[in-house]
Amino acid sequence: MTEIQSSAGVPVIAAPPQEPHLPPKEWLKKNLFSNVGNTLITIMTSVVILSLANGLLGFAFGSERQWNAVAVNSRLYMSFAYPEAQYNRIWFSFATLLVLAGLSMAIWRGGTRMPFARLAKSAYSFGVGLAIMVWLAPLSTSGTVKWEIAAGGLLLAGFIFNRIAAQDEERSLSSLTLLVGTLASIIATLWFIPYGRHSFIGDRIPQVVSEPGTVAFSTKLPWTIMLFVLVGAYYLGIVLRDRLPERRTRSVLMGFWLISPIFLIYLVLRDPAFTMNHVLYTDIPLVLGFLVVGSLILYALTKPSLGEIGRIIAMLILLAGFGSFLTPMRMIIRIFLIALGLFSLAAPTFSGDKSTRRRYSSIWSGFIVIAGWLITAVNTPSTVEVPGDLFFGGATLTLIVAFFTVILSYPLGVLLALARTSNMPIFRLLATTFIEFVRGVPLITILIFFSVMLPLFLPEGMRLPEVTSVTIGYALFSAAYVAENIRGGLQSVTRGQHEAAEAVGMSTSQKTVFIILPQALRMSIPPMVGHTIGTLKETSLLYIIGLFDLLYVGRSVIPNQTAFIGSTRENLLFVSVLYWVISYSMSKASQRIEKRVGLGER
Amino acid sequence: MTAPVEQPPSTRLAVAQRVPLWRDVVVLKWFTQVSLLAVVLAALWLFVGQAGNNLRAKDITIGFDFIDRPVDIQLSEGIDTLPNSGGRALWVGMVNTLRVASVGIVFSTILGIFVALSRLSNNWMLRKVGAMWVESLRNVPLLVQIIFYSSILATLPRTSFLDPTAAAGPLNQNQGPIHNWLHISNKGVSLPRVFIADGFYQWAIVILLGAIAAHFVRKKRLKQHDDTGRETSPILWAAGTLAIFGFVGLFIHPVFSFVGPIMGGIASLIDSLTIPMTQAVISIVAVLLALRWIRKFRTDRRSGSGHLNLSDDDWFRMIFAGLASALVIVVIYKWTGLSSWLLNSGQDLFRLAETKFNVDGAARPFDAMRPDVLKPGNFANYGKNGLTMTRGFAAVFFGVTFYHSAHIGEIVRGGILSVPKGQVEAASAVGLNRAQSLRRVILPQAFRISLPPLGNQYLSLTKNTSLAIAVGYSDIVQVGQTIYNQTGKALPVMSVWMLFYLACSLTISVVVNFFNMRLKLVER
Repeated sequence: MTEIQSSAGVPVIAAPPQEPHLPPKEWLKKNLFSNVGNTLITIMTSVVILSLANGLLGFAFGSERQWNAVAVNSRLYMSFAYPEAQYNRIWFSFATLLVLAGLSMAIWRGGTRMPFARLAKSAYSFGVGLAIMVWLAPLSTSGTVKWEIAAGGLLLAGFIFNRIAAQDEERSLSSLTLLVGTLASIIATLWFIPYGRHSFIGDRIPQVVSEPGTVAFSTKLPWTIMLFVLVGAYYLGIVLRDRLPERRTRSVLMGFWLISPIFLIYLVLRDPAFTMNHVLYTDIPLVLGFLVVGSLILYALTKPSLGEIGRIIAMLILLAGFGSFLTPMRMIIRIFLIALGLFSLAAPTFSGDKSTRRRYSSIWSGFIVIAGWLITAVNTPSTVEVPGDLFFGGATLTLIVAFFTVILSYPLGVLLALARTSNMPIFRLLATTFIEFVRGVPLITILIFFSVMLPLFLPEGMRLPEVTSVTIGYALFSAAYVAENIRGGLQSVTRGQHEAAEAVGMSTSQKTVFIILPQALRMSIPPMVGHTIGTLKETSLLYIIGLFDLLYVGRSVIPNQTAFIGSTRENLLFVSVLYWVISYSMSKASQRIEKRVGLGER
Repeated sequence: MTAPVEQPPSTRLAVAQRVPLWRDVVVLKWFTQVSLLAVVLAALWLFVGQAGNNLRAKDITIGFDFIDRPVDIQLSEGIDTLPNSGGRALWVGMVNTLRVASVGIVFSTILGIFVALSRLSNNWMLRKVGAMWVESLRNVPLLVQIIFYSSILATLPRTSFLDPTAAAGPLNQNQGPIHNWLHISNKGVSLPRVFIADGFYQWAIVILLGAIAAHFVRKKRLKQHDDTGRETSPILWAAGTLAIFGFVGLFIHPVFSFVGPIMGGIASLIDSLTIPMTQAVISIVAVLLALRWIRKFRTDRRSGSGHLNLSDDDWFRMIFAGLASALVIVVIYKWTGLSSWLLNSGQDLFRLAETKFNVDGAARPFDAMRPDVLKPGNFANYGKNGLTMTRGFAAVFFGVTFYHSAHIGEIVRGGILSVPKGQVEAASAVGLNRAQSLRRVILPQAFRISLPPLGNQYLSLTKNTSLAIAVGYSDIVQVGQTIYNQTGKALPVMSVWMLFYLACSLTISVVVNFFNMRLKLVER
């Protein structure tokens, strides 16, 4: 690649030369029929693909397939046994996430411009593909005609796009418009196309009722509202983007992304039954007290000229925190004391002028408020009544376990990676032993260990729900892999950076937090995205433990319903497609973001 | 520039004194490390103590006695489907795991290379097929795939294309797709089985001699190639030599029955050794090894001018090596049983070899059997005669092979793409054709780059075979789960699992590291 000096004097890397656009005939000749061997390969692969597609479509759309099993049970797949009367909670949570998504898309300026020529090309290829698939699939005559009409519509769209592109080559469409348009048309079909109303009646013996007509009102209305929420949030984001300081808005939004799932799970979906007396007279005063006193202490401790006395005070607070286990006391106080001790121990690293010190104190305030209501919410019994221990299952369980695993394993992985690369032999020994041990055994043995054995290791009277102990095990497992990814990033930070940080007089912790880690984390984003997708996929192992995740619902719950006995294959196919869509779109999106941010190009 | 000011000794002393104990970096470092170690050990101690209490309260004992106790397990397949003890059952499970893992490694590598080559082909169609293969298999969880394959295989015809009225026992000749040679059903596929017969060990000696001969032939051909520059195909010649030896060995192998008495002699020699002698030998070897390691370590650490600069960490390692050898000595003297076990098993090994070589002259090295079908109870199933690939095995095998072939394909593709273009151009400049440059220039370099990630794939493939538990293939995890459900010994069974998988991981990484070292570019 050649380097061209841009006007600002910054070297830009020229894009590789585009392949010349060949007319169809020459393209075919070059790519498919360049010589005898190539022609043979083309014919053979076409035959193989067509027969494979024929087999697959025959399998998927054969007359003996009970796709009703999936359609009727879609509720089971998404939220398992969550009570229907409380469904507003689910819709509220979903809407919250959509608002965040819409805001983020606006504030990070998501989406790309897609030229109409490219749109035309993809519409053509989708149309031709769909036409061939419909021709191969064993559909009824009316079904074939309907789908072929749809394929014709795609081809027509391609033609129109091509005309637009021919008029003006620069015309393009935002990919967000395309996304919203697609979603809107899918939701519009809910209102107009008679998919049929499927519902379950009866508790003991589930009986399926399928009526002709469009889907139930309780399905299509919320989905339509969700679409409007998404679009509204996007425009709100555009308005906010121009009014607010960009950096702060972005970090606040990131914070919301981290906090809102926990908030939704514990406050919205779990519906804790707060006793107002306890909350008003114990929890709130406690949190307020720690907030005020802690902020003052931390503000004082971050004073740069403080010296030894800061450390001593921090150690005293920490000692008080650990010592509080000797006397009967509320658990929440002990946790807050230890947290305050750790915060004040880290205080010298964050010392600086007044605004820096105020920010550190406000971080503490935010932490204490979130930790306070989280602890209160977790300790309050849930009012959601479902059969079994968990109020969530299906895709919700899969996503929640994946979320918590990722959230817990990243900080732990960073600590392990730092310990493994530190120059202190005992830290290194402990970290290396842990990482290598965990990486040497399969995930399933660790999950079984934590679901079967962890209750035995806990002190008497302490009980963890199975899903919690399994998530802890999964997070520990995942942390070992995260640590290895981050170690790669840490090793790619050059020596000069260490030396420069030392030269300006930073302490080891300041050097690590402000210089080394930001660069190392940036370098390790691509492998970490891959690891996150892997984590989501491997939550399917919860099936073996016997938790009601997506796979369990598809493999064991639905095929055991009297109406749908023997519908395993349909359900498995549906589960695979669901997983495929999630992980494929995640990996594609991350690739695009990496390319845009220019990761891994330094 | 000013000359450095020489500080008076009193100032230096003052500087040294001014650092108090709690600010001294070395003291602080060791203090934090030791306190963390103490916390970890205390937590472990607390947890383990709690586990002990809880187990006692539930009246569960920890111990490995289930290994010798009879268990009531019927395994779906393996070298022994009705094992008489827990240890035997676990052993069968381990063999099953290794079986599916090794076959999976071989086939996923072959398939992965094909996938990589097809993604790089000139043909648009083939490229798209490769991309579809990778993207569709990589993004669906392996467990879902395994279960899906199993449920697809369940739709194969029932085993009852055997005559339902036939009595238990081998089938008559006219059943199965190819009369009595191949059976396909929802229980799996059964093929004729070739197995090692009594004469094999004698034949193996012929093969060993053949390998030595082949080595020399290869060396000679290589030398010829270097001298004359002509293509002498040394590998082909070596393989040919080995094949000739193998074929001739089929007829002359009884010649080697004299090896039996030699093995017997070695066994008697081991028998005459005493336990103290063994202990002494092992201790001396351990001490010598540690000393050698320390000496080598110190030589390595020496700078060019012979100056030895050891950090804290280096001292730690050297002390650790010494401690390790001391540990070996303590163990060997504390448990006398270990030495006698070593002696006994060594003796048994050679006694076994003696019986293996002392066989009748007429014994064949190999033998074969056709598949049979038994009808125990209501369900027909394959007997032991044929080589059977059961449904569980097939599901796990296809699952790990397809899934990892997608990953391996991407790794190999990355390796091939990372070979600099200049290499290809240089290859064609010296007159190599496409196939030659692929074999001699591109693939060796691509292999070097993709070896470490390939090793990781093999590791995770081996670990992923543990998902067999979902389709009822009797691998070590499934057998272990059955055992602890019966006996309640979860902890010992899990430690067996973990040790087994750690051993597998270590073996694979040692092998991969060995090749990695061999292939690494020698840099200045």
